[in-house]
Amino acid sequence: MTQGATQLSLSQGLAIQRRVINAIILREVRTRFGRHQLGYLWAFAESLFWILTFAGLHYAMGGSPPVGMDMLGFLATGIITFIMFRSTVTHCQASIVGNRPLLYFPQVRPVDIALGRALLEAATLIAVFVGLLGANALLIGEFDVDAPLVVLAGLSAAWLLGFGLGMCLMALSIYFPVTDQLVPILLRPMFFVSGLFFAANDLPTELRDYLLYNPLLHAVELVRDGWFVGYHSHHVDLQYLAGWILALVYLGLLLERFARRRVELA
Amino acid sequence: MIELIGVSKHYATNHGVRRVLEDVSLTIPTDQSVGILGRNGAGKSTLLRLVAGIESPNSGKVVRHVRVSWPIGFAGGFHNNLTGEENMRFVSRIYGFDPAEVGQSVREFAELGDYFYMPLRTYSSGMRARLAFGLSMAIDFQVYLIDEVIAVGDRPFREKCEAQLAARRDHSSVIIVSHSMQTIRQFAERCAVLIDGRLELFDDVDEAARVYEAA
Repeated sequence: MTQGATQLSLSQGLAIQRRVINAIILREVRTRFGRHQLGYLWAFAESLFWILTFAGLHYAMGGSPPVGMDMLGFLATGIITFIMFRSTVTHCQASIVGNRPLLYFPQVRPVDIALGRALLEAATLIAVFVGLLGANALLIGEFDVDAPLVVLAGLSAAWLLGFGLGMCLMALSIYFPVTDQLVPILLRPMFFVSGLFFAANDLPTELRDYLLYNPLLHAVELVRDGWFVGYHSHHVDLQYLAGWILALVYLGLLLERFARRRVELA
Repeated sequence: MIELIGVSKHYATNHGVRRVLEDVSLTIPTDQSVGILGRNGAGKSTLLRLVAGIESPNSGKVVRHVRVSWPIGFAGGFHNNLTGEENMRFVSRIYGFDPAEVGQSVREFAELGDYFYMPLRTYSSGMRARLAFGLSMAIDFQVYLIDEVIAVGDRPFREKCEAQLAARRDHSSVIIVSHSMQTIRQFAERCAVLIDGRLELFDDVDEAARVYEAA
């Protein structure tokens, strides 16, 4: 370990990392949610806002959800899965901004901050998913979930894609600060091509062939396949999705090792 | 002990590359207190940051076999929007100490009163330094790193800090960097000299002083 902490066994190292990530999560809870009485509700507000806005649009335009889904459930599964991805990307990417003082402690590395923030994001959005889709289930009186573990797999895939990409971007932004400005622009199209407003089954073949290059669409399809009893996606390619996840996470962790040394402390 | 193994550190500046350490291999004992002498700008603070693990060397490695403090007097590592108490909790946790116990000892030592529960951005620099010092005393480090004199707060508090450090001599040691022979003599039993990227350790403080004066 060129970083040169005390020479430790793997288990000691993992124990320290666990301690550090735990401390970072508790601290993030304070900085993000702790200042207001209703702090945690803000986490629900963004998802709810998007879902209701697009539900309103769909009703106004007389659109109908894909076969086997209800409108709110269709939108919620897509939007929350997307936010799981996007929010994990942005939180990982911005790990160092505002947390630079933490790197002052040798046992804290950028990857620990990113992992702590990403885990908090995952827990928050799973709570949002369960809360909002649970509320919707009460609303429409449909309580059957086709395959809960498949839903979890889909959300996890979106999270891992976000973590891998976020780590890559965090490392890149240390070398090229302009990354921070470019990312929101580059992420915006993902909102429209990741299946938030369509199901892969309903697309024309040529268009679908192109859109299926987007790994996040596979994650969204996975979530819907698992959630709706009446919907079965014919186009989820688990190997393709896993390939993207492995590549992004590997590249992200690799870049972080190089970028770590370049972080300028006060 | 703390091992420096083939450590090089350099910076790119406007005037070309500045070499702070060149292939330094040295074992710094931690059963005795060690002073490090160097002129202003010789890279003493950088050396201390390498030892603390805040910065990584460009090549080589630093191996710490003991729990080493952050450089005392420097109140980095704190988050401005969190309270003193919340910052204390974070630091306690990452070092594996019980926040409740550490909190009690920091509250008594740092004399911050109600400010302990206020965000750090409301602190004066003296208050930040007191919190940092109190925290470094509450966490049981085996080696304390000190950059120059302890410039913490007013005179009575400074004396309290020095007394506190002295009281720990039986189970903790000190690594202190300074350009002042007097400061080094006050703390150190052995002494190293940092000149032109080379670091040499002497058994005897007087011998180090001679080399330092001659350079």
